[in-house]
Amino acid sequence: MDVTAEFEDLILRLIKGPAERQAIESGQIDAILDPATGRAILLPEAQLALRVDQARDRSLVKLSSDWQWEKDTQYRFVSCEGASTGSSGFADKSIIGKRLWDLPFDNMNDVQWQALRRELTRRAAYRDLELRSRDRAGNVHCFSISGEPVFNEDGEFKGYRGTAREIPGLQVADATSPGSVEIARATLDALTVRICALDSAGTIILANKAWGAFTATKQCIGVGIPEGTNYLAACDSAGGNTRANGVALAAGIRRVIAGKCELFRYEYGCNSPTGERYVCAFTVTALRRNHTVRAVISHAKTFTRKYAEHPLGRDHEDADRVPIVNAVLAAMTRREYQRLAIDLEPIRLNFGEVLYELGDTIQYIYFPSDCLVSLLTEVEGRMALEVGLVGSEGMVGTPLALGIGTSSIRALVQGPGRALRMEAARFQTAFRQSPSLQRALYRYTHLLMAQFTQTAACNRFHSVEARLARWLLMTHDRVSSDQFHLTHEFLADMLGVRRVGVTNAASELRKRKLIDYTRGDITILDRKGLAAASCGCYRIVKDLFDTLKLR
Amino acid sequence: MQRKRAKGKAASPAVATVVVMRLYISGNAPNSVRAIANLDAICKEYLKDGYKLEIVDVFEQPARALAEGVIVTPSLAKVSPSPAVKVVGNLSDKGNVLLALGIEGRAG
Repeated sequence: MDVTAEFEDLILRLIKGPAERQAIESGQIDAILDPATGRAILLPEAQLALRVDQARDRSLVKLSSDWQWEKDTQYRFVSCEGASTGSSGFADKSIIGKRLWDLPFDNMNDVQWQALRRELTRRAAYRDLELRSRDRAGNVHCFSISGEPVFNEDGEFKGYRGTAREIPGLQVADATSPGSVEIARATLDALTVRICALDSAGTIILANKAWGAFTATKQCIGVGIPEGTNYLAACDSAGGNTRANGVALAAGIRRVIAGKCELFRYEYGCNSPTGERYVCAFTVTALRRNHTVRAVISHAKTFTRKYAEHPLGRDHEDADRVPIVNAVLAAMTRREYQRLAIDLEPIRLNFGEVLYELGDTIQYIYFPSDCLVSLLTEVEGRMALEVGLVGSEGMVGTPLALGIGTSSIRALVQGPGRALRMEAARFQTAFRQSPSLQRALYRYTHLLMAQFTQTAACNRFHSVEARLARWLLMTHDRVSSDQFHLTHEFLADMLGVRRVGVTNAASELRKRKLIDYTRGDITILDRKGLAAASCGCYRIVKDLFDTLKLR
Repeated sequence: MQRKRAKGKAASPAVATVVVMRLYISGNAPNSVRAIANLDAICKEYLKDGYKLEIVDVFEQPARALAEGVIVTPSLAKVSPSPAVKVVGNLSDKGNVLLALGIEGRAG
């Protein structure tokens, strides 16, 4: 070991034992403790090794940080090296000679600085201290600064050294290219979803254009209130129907701000003052690495989303899901149908079910999918006569479309099957708001009236046989099968004749091999022949339906 | 060293008890790092869980090291069982360390 004269002197003075001397000579010793000064003195070889170590550390540090800095014992910067000292506001030469708290960081208050200074006095190391500043161009930069105390070989405090790096974050992403603050802002403003950012107290410190332009309704809690107002207060003061929603939303936001959860979603269905039904959806996202913004709220009002969920959900739970085969619904524009669909309820109708009695208030309207509904009128409270037949081409409950809430006929399910039903009040609102539904239903009502008048004339002038043939054809048009179940008694009611009359007419048709029947199961054998046997009334109504499309 | 060895032998029945040691080092200096590694290997091989080791960095606690009679680093002090024994150097001489710790009987 090449021990210099200085160290030889030290060794001679301090080392008495042979074991220590031997260990030093064989190069196994790093340091000698000097009782006079109370310090450890590194031997030259160890010093050299540590210097090499430090150089290696430094090169690693360079790779993982933007800047390396050193401060003197008074915590003043004496050096700062690293990435370009351009406009980022931290590493330019102006910081030399200044303390951290002399620099224009705007996210630390006096109490926080005092706490840091106490730590420094304790010679504590600090990790990832986050500081924020604005450069001359007004761009925000966030820095993460770490430092550790430096002691010399004698254990004497020589200052601090450490690293700094710029944090790429939401606010800081724009630091690299000037002008991107504007881009970010413009992007937010371009979104139709309403977005605002809250600080730790729940005050709105930033809101996009859509937020500002939103006319707040009672249902959309607090949406649209201006920057600077407290959003949590708005939630807390939500009244009426939305009170529960306001409380739940505020609780969720508080959890996000407190850092207890990263993401909070809240949605609820509501009705607008005009009766529209929609879903209010709030998404609250936590922001951790930012000292000002703690949560970002986005609010969306959706009609379509619920619609999308509607049939999907049914897929799993309801094997009887109704396909959109109804001609009235199919005639609507897609957009208007989607709104309407929120309130459509799939239902199965059974044979003999009475949807309305004469004079009943209409509770629901029905869009048949593959069921068949007879519209009957009564004479003197007992004799029934069918005046119309509704299948997938129409709707049951047309009086509502004309502004009448009671039924003037009896609606009886004659062929069981599926339908979509809707509450009368919701239907009336939807009807007012949907031009395509109005057009379809006006046309359909006209066709239904044509059917009524033609049936009235037919019942007066044509034979039971011809009427039965017509009726079977109309039924056949509306069900997808050649076979259907109908008893003679029922047919007698439909046609307003005695049961014997039906039996005679049916035997005649069977004799001509147009139909067959056993115990109420009727099979159409020859549709063309049946059409020839029917009166002209069937053709007239059928042609009308074919030419006058609902759309 | 002769004296220490004799004492170590006398203490050998106590090996079953926990050996308490202090290793004095100076930061990341090369012999200090080596001493930690050497001692670690010896402890794992011969003492299993039967030891307690405290590492004292003389840069952090110079006064304490001086008070405990440390002159150079690295150096290892056996605190208990008695007698107290000290070994200096980077502990690369395993036999010497085992003797000092009073466990040379197991070395063979």
